Amino acid sequence: MAQTKLTDNVQLPESANPSRVIIAVGVVGVLASLVGVVVNYEQFLHSYLTSFSFFISLSLASLFLVMIHHITRSSWGTTLRRIPETFSSYLWVFALLFIPILLGMSTLYEWVGDLEGRNVFYQNLAEYKSPYLNTPFFILRNVIYFGIWGYLGYTLYKNSIKMDETGDWGIDTMFRKISAPGIFFFGFTLAFASFDWIMSLRFDWFSTMFGVYYFAMSFQAIMAVLIVMILWLRGKGLLLNTITRAHINDLGLWMFAFTVFYAYITFSQFFLIYYANIPEATLFYYVRMEGNWQYVFYATIFGRFVIPFIVLLNKSAKANYKVLSTISVIIIVSHVVEIFWLVMPSLHDSLTFHWLDVATFLALAGIFMWLFFFHFKKNSMVPKNDPKLIESLNKH
Amino acid sequence: MSDQVKETDKTVFAVLAEYDNPAKLMKAAKLVNRAGYTKFDAHSPFPIHGMDDAMGLKESKLGWIVLSHALVGFSGGLALQVWASSIAYPINIGGRPFANIPAYVPVTFELTILLSAFAAVFGMFFLNNLPKLHNNLFNSDNFNRVTDDKFFISIETEDGMYSEEETMKFLEGTGASHIEKVYE
Repeated sequence: MAQTKLTDNVQLPESANPSRVIIAVGVVGVLASLVGVVVNYEQFLHSYLTSFSFFISLSLASLFLVMIHHITRSSWGTTLRRIPETFSSYLWVFALLFIPILLGMSTLYEWVGDLEGRNVFYQNLAEYKSPYLNTPFFILRNVIYFGIWGYLGYTLYKNSIKMDETGDWGIDTMFRKISAPGIFFFGFTLAFASFDWIMSLRFDWFSTMFGVYYFAMSFQAIMAVLIVMILWLRGKGLLLNTITRAHINDLGLWMFAFTVFYAYITFSQFFLIYYANIPEATLFYYVRMEGNWQYVFYATIFGRFVIPFIVLLNKSAKANYKVLSTISVIIIVSHVVEIFWLVMPSLHDSLTFHWLDVATFLALAGIFMWLFFFHFKKNSMVPKNDPKLIESLNKH
Repeated sequence: MSDQVKETDKTVFAVLAEYDNPAKLMKAAKLVNRAGYTKFDAHSPFPIHGMDDAMGLKESKLGWIVLSHALVGFSGGLALQVWASSIAYPINIGGRPFANIPAYVPVTFELTILLSAFAAVFGMFFLNNLPKLHNNLFNSDNFNRVTDDKFFISIETEDGMYSEEETMKFLEGTGASHIEKVYE
């Protein structure tokens, strides 16, 4: 049945707004985290970095999805574009959320101090890498990252809202003018940010693939997050005729594609290191595949690749909401676990859970989701004046 | 006179109905499917979205053919390497285990992809009855325009429901602009 205009209510009704629960969760998380700062500062910083890397990865992947959508002039996802747009609109807030990590740099990153007492090799190595790994440059780089991301996310969102209000299709051209260079800068900043935040936890290790690895993880996860969000909206009876089976099926296809991409990138990184067997490169996996950590390693392989791949291989599975939402949740959980597995071995030699892992996660989850619903309820849930909207509505 | 000789000499292969636009073709395909015909086909110059459903086509079996070949490639590739380097001729490479699974992944992966690709291409040929040098429908001159601007439905005489008069009458009712018999 051909649709010629939006038939759904595009405003999030107050009854469906979960902000109260989110605020409650966030406040509990923030308070617990503050206790953690006093009780166990080092653990707090590591837990916080884990949660931070998880939530910003969702916003960053959303930003990339929106930009790629604009420059390819795609219509398949126009009806659902407002969700990733909103996720990336508050990237600038992450600059504020990064302050605890900057304050705790000397505790978190070994290369910040002067490495007294470590052997000469490490001291020399730190000296050798100091033109890149030094505190002022680290701060400067992060200012640049957040500047670029904040600008891109906020501008694309703001103008999309403006198009809702004015119906000015000229803004569509502007989207492309911002997105094309935006993707270029996004690629570099994302890669270097992942080097800075996660890889430099062990400054003696490096992998040139780490940036694309972090991206592959994030982009797979954002598809899962979008599916969960959309199915949640449908559960509330919202946007039933706007984001249809065809759109959800496409998201399932994307999720499947990026499950394979993730496996490809992750295995490539692992395989080169494994096969070359150079001590300075293998130490990363050496720590993470020993003792209890190895179970986490195998769990992520199954959670992020083996299970989603086998289940989503079937065409009908990608059209089945129950299967899709289950797999999406598995992927999101695996994404958290994998980042945990990347960050935590720098603090604990064997797998250890700490209540601060949960506390910092809840704190950031509260802030992240509150910001999302704050924007999402204020404006239309669909870019309602977009030139490609009708084409997208009639997708099948 | 000569026309009559032709008609009695040759057997009818199918009835061909011509339509002016894709919407009419789609509607007709639905009617033909609903009427219970099975040996029929729709022809158009370009793919029409939703045609599979209109014709009531079942999902292609190609996926299963590809999957079975993929599994053969996967297990064959893995088994070959495990056998060669840990049973037939074990070599110690840098102290790694003889059955060194990560090292086997690239070849296993390649073989899986290779056999899947072959299965997809040749399986498609097989399911489409290709290569086919001649199709009886080409005996109709009108049918040439299927690559240009006309849309056709053909119902073969081998169809269980086929009876010359009724089928032609039925097709007339589906909005065809022209109906003819195609001979073998």
